[in-house]
Amino acid sequence: MLKAPSARALVVLALVGALFLVLPGFVGAYGLKFATRIIILSIFVVSLDFILGLAGLVSFGHAAFFGVGAYAVYFVSPESEAANALVALGAGMLAAALCALVIGAFVCLTRGFYFIMVTLAAAQMMFSLFHDTDIAKGSDGAYINVKPDLTIGATSLLDFDHRTTFYYVCLALLVLTVLALFALARTPFGRIVQALKANETRLSALGYNAYQFKLAAFVVAGAFAGLAGALFACIDGFVTPDLFSWHQSGLAIMMAVLGGAGTLFGPILGVLAYVSLEETLKTASLVGAFVAEHWRLGTGATLVVAVLLSPDGLAGYLRGRPRQTNAEPLQDLEPPKEARKARTLATRSLSKSFGGLRAVDNVTAEFSPDLVHGIIGPNGAGKTTFTNLLSGAFRPSAGEILVDGENIAGWPAHRIARRGVGRSFQRTNIFASFTVEENTRIAAQAEHPSVFRLRDGALREAERAKVAHALSIVGLADRAGVVAGSMSNGEQRQLEIAMLIAGGGSILILDEPLAGMGPEETRRVVELLRALKANHTIILIEHDMDAVFAVADTLTVLALGRLIAHGTPDEVRRDEEVIAAYLGGHAPDHKGAPA
Amino acid sequence: MSLILVQILNGLQYGLLLFLAASGLTLVFGILGVINLAHGSFYMIGAYMALTLTAYTGDIFIALAAGIPLAFLIGMAIEWLFVRHLYKRDHLQQVLLTFALILVFNEAQQSIWGNYPKSIPTPSYLSSSISLTSDLGYSVYRIALMAICVALALVMMFVIQKTRVGRLIRAAESNPEMVEALGFDSRILFRMVFAAGAALAAAAGMLAAPVESAYPGIGERVLIISFVVVVIGGIGSIRGAFLGSLLIGLADAFGKVFVPKFSSVLIYALMALVLVLRPNGLFGRS
Repeated sequence: MLKAPSARALVVLALVGALFLVLPGFVGAYGLKFATRIIILSIFVVSLDFILGLAGLVSFGHAAFFGVGAYAVYFVSPESEAANALVALGAGMLAAALCALVIGAFVCLTRGFYFIMVTLAAAQMMFSLFHDTDIAKGSDGAYINVKPDLTIGATSLLDFDHRTTFYYVCLALLVLTVLALFALARTPFGRIVQALKANETRLSALGYNAYQFKLAAFVVAGAFAGLAGALFACIDGFVTPDLFSWHQSGLAIMMAVLGGAGTLFGPILGVLAYVSLEETLKTASLVGAFVAEHWRLGTGATLVVAVLLSPDGLAGYLRGRPRQTNAEPLQDLEPPKEARKARTLATRSLSKSFGGLRAVDNVTAEFSPDLVHGIIGPNGAGKTTFTNLLSGAFRPSAGEILVDGENIAGWPAHRIARRGVGRSFQRTNIFASFTVEENTRIAAQAEHPSVFRLRDGALREAERAKVAHALSIVGLADRAGVVAGSMSNGEQRQLEIAMLIAGGGSILILDEPLAGMGPEETRRVVELLRALKANHTIILIEHDMDAVFAVADTLTVLALGRLIAHGTPDEVRRDEEVIAAYLGGHAPDHKGAPA
Repeated sequence: MSLILVQILNGLQYGLLLFLAASGLTLVFGILGVINLAHGSFYMIGAYMALTLTAYTGDIFIALAAGIPLAFLIGMAIEWLFVRHLYKRDHLQQVLLTFALILVFNEAQQSIWGNYPKSIPTPSYLSSSISLTSDLGYSVYRIALMAICVALALVMMFVIQKTRVGRLIRAAESNPEMVEALGFDSRILFRMVFAAGAALAAAAGMLAAPVESAYPGIGERVLIISFVVVVIGGIGSIRGAFLGSLLIGLADAFGKVFVPKFSSVLIYALMALVLVLRPNGLFGRS
């Protein structure tokens, strides 16, 4: 998760800042304009980093919002007088945010390769729109005759036509942008945005609507790109469809990664490094005529090498020493009691087919509260598919899933999680790059999963208590500051259970929680399950038969997708069909017949 | 009426060219798991190879016969030098490296062939036009172009569906580790697939050169439209790429006539529609 810059990084940033502050005293008009461009470019690349580095979404169309911001200034500028500067910049941000909302509504439906291609195509569409049609004079571009200013009464406070004034406005806005995005990243909303990058599946299973968070992050990034675009339009008072060019988007990604994606300040260093490299390679007196003539080749090649050799970028060299993980274990705090969200889970004739294969076939079962329900069956019995249906990872082909009588079949995973059904995964599924405490906190926060939650506020204490309580009962209280991905498999599974507890689900579905655990850890988890069943409904899918028979109050046996037995462990142990299913072929028509 | 007929032919011709470019892209996505932004550069290389090779040999078809193997070799070299290092890396690094490759290719193109569009002669024996209706002629070269595209597409389909290599490719697409475990060297297979994709894109560029000439930025235009085709068709699906290409080709041809200023926008709107209805493309797997 986003950390405050280290002392070293702060020193570098202070130096860069001081340099920018005094620069206008040393350079001429050309130099000042060049520096202004760099600052505006920095705002643009920092805004990209919010979606690229923090949310982990590779947007290849960020220039779309830059362009829209610039054109918005053109549209609000009257023919022969200055627009109000606040209106102009506000219009740039607003127009870009709206554009990001519309484009985002489509692109956030996709992920991975699709996301990259679709964002690129969307930006290209904006390019075509402004290039091929007569909007704002088409491919020729358009002039803003009088640059915006800010006048109150008769006194002109800010005049964008004045180079030095405009330079300082841009510098101030860069600082504000970085601070605003930094603050946003540390809100409850920002934490979930970063969790998107770490593990989207887990996020949905905790009850968050990942789509909404992606879209919101996309809009935020778009709005600040719009600000950069609006400022850019004020440099020369000229807008052209080239502002939408996909080269802009590609170079922005380059600069963000070169500087250090996911740090929000690294991109500024990336912009500086890139621009310095480009200018150096263009200067024939420094590098010779041949290199200067083919500077693009040199820039491209240098960037590739730089990025491949140091994937963390320049900011990676400015990382502080890892802080000592606090040895002080978290004190168990009693979280406020909550009404139980859900008690009984039941299925009626639940089926799931994949092509011709019926992985789950007409299963009717009921899991009542305050008990541990084991689900067992030979390999390929459909246990995991059954789990995936219960949690909403798969849509049932037929049948009903009832939570306290309400049919939730076909609901998306996050909605089922909010209804009170928490699940763990067969392969441990946590936010590996976050600490144990951060993982649990994201789960605890799921009680209030709104996108618009920007403050911890009154919930801070209650959530802290939930985190401390959940970590204490699974026995991870002394590991709170450890990065989750560095822990043993057994500990990660304990963490996953802690997340379910903190998330407030009252029906817990645990898919092979004991897999890969040693005897000591197994004993501990079995104890934990016994303790949890007092106020949870626990559904346990497990291969470790000793543990299942020791802890389960009821057993449901699946074979070839069908329910073949349901009852107490003792009843099931004596069931001939179960014995047949485990020992040999399964012959439903001839009970107990050998295969 | 005759206008509609011509636009159908133009649309099909553009669609078939797109298919050659997009099929390679979708195979590289589906099998190698790499997003190759530089795929459009192979189209560009094809167009300029057509220029140079036609100048030497005097005939676009001889140029084509020499150019396709040459593009195959270039593809192998690019895979060996750069792309193979990307298989285990994340999307962001793939985007960065292949984007940088575009910069390098474009710079190379400008250094060698300059900044101005160059036209490539149509072979004299195909420069006539045949009359489709009493008042309407259509260039013979364009018809030959379509025939060659169809032939290349059929060869590709045959290789993928009916041959040993094709079976391996299809197997590698669903489970590369297993193919490796069965004793096949997936490195060689990957290199061949990448090179074949490059050769197909270059072939499209060469065939199109006499019709649309060679100019800077030609590859990127094709790349972005190919992305749209892949999004519509579904990643890894040849059938999807075929359908998507023809759809885009026809939409473009008719858009240019009926909504000339919005014809590009129309294509992206089509993509948005498909995304909403089928987020994984028409033939994509969820």
